[in-house]
Amino acid sequence: MNRSTLRARGARILMSAGLAFAAIGPATAPVAAADPVVLRVGTTQDNDTLNPYSTLLVVGYEAFQLSYNLLVDFGPNLEPVPGFADSWERAADGHSWTFHIRDGMKWSDGQPATSEDACFSWQLAIDSIRENEGSGYLGAGYIDPGLADAGVKAVDCSDPTTMVATTDDASQRILQTYLPIIPKHIWGTETYATIGDATFTAPLVGTGPYQAVEWQTGQFIRFQRNPNYWGTQGFADEVDIVIYKTADSMVQALKAGEVDYIHGANADQLNALKSEANIKTVAGAANGWTQMAFNTYGTGTGNTIPGGGPSTPALLDAAFRDALGYAVDKQTLVDKVLGGYGDLGDTIVPPVQTQWHVTPDKPRTFDIKLAKQKLDAAGYKLDASGNRLDKANNPIALRMYMPDSDDNYPKAAQFIADWYGQLGIKVTTQVLDSGTLGEKVLPPEADPKAGYTADYDIELWGWSWNVDPSGELQIFKCDAIGSSSDSQYCNPAFDKLYDQQLAAPTDAERKAIIAQMQNIIYDEAPYDVLYYDANLDAYRTDRFAGWYNVPSNGTPMFTYGTLGYTQLTDATIVTPPPATEAPAAGATPAPSVGPGDAGSGSGDSTPLVIGGLVVVGVVVGYYLMRRRQGAGGTMKDEGEE
Amino acid sequence: MGSRYLGRKLAQALGTIFAIVLLNFVLFRMMPGSPERVLLRNPYLSPGKVEQVRKAWGLDAPMLPISVSVDPPAFSINPRNQLTSYIGATFSGDLGYSFKFRGTPVTEVIGQRFWPTILLIGFGEIIAIAVGLAIGSYAGWKRGSLTDRIGSGISLILYSMPYFVIGMPLILIFAARLGWFPTSGMLTVGATYGSFVDQLIDFGRHLALPLATVSLGLIGSYSIIMRSSIIETRAEDYVTTARAKGLTDRQVLSRHAFPNAMLPMVTLIAINLGYVVAGAITAEVVFNWPGLGTLTVGALSARDYPVLQGVFLLLSVTVVLANLVADLVYAFLDPRVRS
Repeated sequence: MNRSTLRARGARILMSAGLAFAAIGPATAPVAAADPVVLRVGTTQDNDTLNPYSTLLVVGYEAFQLSYNLLVDFGPNLEPVPGFADSWERAADGHSWTFHIRDGMKWSDGQPATSEDACFSWQLAIDSIRENEGSGYLGAGYIDPGLADAGVKAVDCSDPTTMVATTDDASQRILQTYLPIIPKHIWGTETYATIGDATFTAPLVGTGPYQAVEWQTGQFIRFQRNPNYWGTQGFADEVDIVIYKTADSMVQALKAGEVDYIHGANADQLNALKSEANIKTVAGAANGWTQMAFNTYGTGTGNTIPGGGPSTPALLDAAFRDALGYAVDKQTLVDKVLGGYGDLGDTIVPPVQTQWHVTPDKPRTFDIKLAKQKLDAAGYKLDASGNRLDKANNPIALRMYMPDSDDNYPKAAQFIADWYGQLGIKVTTQVLDSGTLGEKVLPPEADPKAGYTADYDIELWGWSWNVDPSGELQIFKCDAIGSSSDSQYCNPAFDKLYDQQLAAPTDAERKAIIAQMQNIIYDEAPYDVLYYDANLDAYRTDRFAGWYNVPSNGTPMFTYGTLGYTQLTDATIVTPPPATEAPAAGATPAPSVGPGDAGSGSGDSTPLVIGGLVVVGVVVGYYLMRRRQGAGGTMKDEGEE
Repeated sequence: MGSRYLGRKLAQALGTIFAIVLLNFVLFRMMPGSPERVLLRNPYLSPGKVEQVRKAWGLDAPMLPISVSVDPPAFSINPRNQLTSYIGATFSGDLGYSFKFRGTPVTEVIGQRFWPTILLIGFGEIIAIAVGLAIGSYAGWKRGSLTDRIGSGISLILYSMPYFVIGMPLILIFAARLGWFPTSGMLTVGATYGSFVDQLIDFGRHLALPLATVSLGLIGSYSIIMRSSIIETRAEDYVTTARAKGLTDRQVLSRHAFPNAMLPMVTLIAINLGYVVAGAITAEVVFNWPGLGTLTVGALSARDYPVLQGVFLLLSVTVVLANLVADLVYAFLDPRVRS
């Protein structure tokens, strides 16, 4: 009896709770307009921020590229094409550039976009470089190096239609600076010190083709057509970047037609997708590589690290590293590890940077016998039991570490351990998480108090790069030891060439120097670039046509520029959907439930939560009520006890 | 006596939560790898920038209020340290700012992921409890019968299957092949809904497969324990008495055996409900469900201390509370416990 009363009370409470939840539910539901054309793009990266200065992820770059323009954009072959500026010219002395800002251009909120915005955006980077006496300080540190490398000293915008930039060298690198132009009327109160921490809440205001209007972490970023975009308006009214936790789920979604494009499949998945109807796969050359970085700490300086550093002085010997280079069969790595998708590694400028890449003057081939001969000749003999000895007669055993971020790393490591084993060199491999590995390769220079010891022999990891090659050259400079260097390589001659290439007045002269630098690193081999990775993407051809690779050996999306989005057309053109009304849909402001105004932070799941609770409340309440009635109805039975 | 029992349990719960707050702090800082290194694999990274970031995130302050060093012998008191500022902020409800999501408040990051998990696992638990108890009690009652063998067999198989093994075939069959349900996500991205009901239907379609996965995965443990519990009560004297009175088999099961067999289940259910928030990481990953499980995995690899601390605090508090509730309910149901 007691329990029945309790149940009844519980039922009443739940019922009223259900009603209460119903009462606080949304009073109005969004009303559907004509269905907009939505392009859905899948990726496995969870975006970190919409702040272009602070994002570290490819997906974050994609978001800001769609929303903002660069002063000078990237064309089909990554050449400079009009962006925020529609033309430019260089002064006779090469130290001053005049950029003509597009006439009558408007921000997506309708405000005029002028040279003032361009100057404001560039000035942020210039201030940061000046105040910090170096670059790499603005936000996450990826934006200002572009201007620092280009030697930009000052900008002037006394005329609203032009921006004049002065540089301290006469190079052309100013045309490849990856720096978004953001609206001054919105961000004008921010400075170089604060912009990195500013909250870029969707909807963003930009001049790019699609504006980010909503972002839910772990779920999606939504973009809507910018009605004021100056270039070709894309066919899609809306672009949604959908975030997946695993590539498997993403592939299934593509097959089911839930997304139109996926970025970052693996070789098996790509092969399986090839036989699917209406799906096309693309293996685009990635602007990056996978490498073995040898720990050469102490080269030239003779410095050692107590309790750390390379386990054998042989690693400091270029002849030793060169010999090892003959023992790596890169073709096998590409075939077996990458499933054939990728290019054989050689120099440190990826071949996708066609303008700068050179093949090595003295290429190595896979030849174990030759590797052995070279080791013998360099003074590394075998002992009686077949172990390779260093010059102090200690057996050489190398410790190879790799991060857990890529399944291909351990596979490649197995092959390499086998090949090196044939030379009499034992390799132990270990997978570490990226954070641990990142610290493991740091030498004391990084922070004398932190106790870093660079305690490794080989680091197997990868990098990806910008359009301008300065980044991949930078990590081999002496002053990169303690920060980005993972080979601890130091060669003053290389450093000198680095400064020269920055100052080279023409691209041809610059390329000659960069070619020299690529050969130095290839010959001295602090790095063995194993392969240039490929981006494995796939897309559906039944809804959108006009897929366009940027550059021609790249992929349509997650690359440089936004041509892949704006060139898309209707694949069902025979019976065009009511897409003609699209601009109107694009002009409507973002739906009311965005992260910016949701307040509670629960985003658009709030009504569902309430709905769900109402349902539960009512169902449980009803059930308990029934139980109570049931109990009352059989009271006679109870009485029998 | 009742209030003393209550007081003791409450004090225990509070003590546990405080210990967890402390443990949370130590645990994540003991992991190798620091956040600023994980976040900034940048070719241009300078030591100055690293210092700047450490300062902005408060990582430059000493970890503990007191530092002792043996060589050279030194002892210092640090008024500005990570531990006390963490404890102070936590108890004032400030969970800090996410490193990974560049300064988004942790409460906001967790808030976005909280309800999806609660809905998925909460509904999953309800279904699993109902079905599991039904299967378990019937199988236990009809011990040795064909139903028992099939029911227990299925329960054991489901109990031993990880979520992704259950989930992946469901996706392949019902989403990719038959197209009845979407493969993943919580709502159709970018959809505009004519009405709230449309949105609810869309949500329901997305929920179906993950919910099925979670419930299938949970049914096993409930039915197995319920079965053994029923078998135990079957041998009790009061069951024999009830039979002797001439009650039907069904009446004996539903009025006498089942309520008594529920006693151990109450504890199990209450404790399991504590884990609702912890979610089912693999199920969330397979179905791309934007919940706390996937948030935790992402935060872990980014060494996002504030988010990790926030999530773990939330998880531990719910588990402690669920245990407290279990204790109280148990005491209410079974007077012997109170004394």
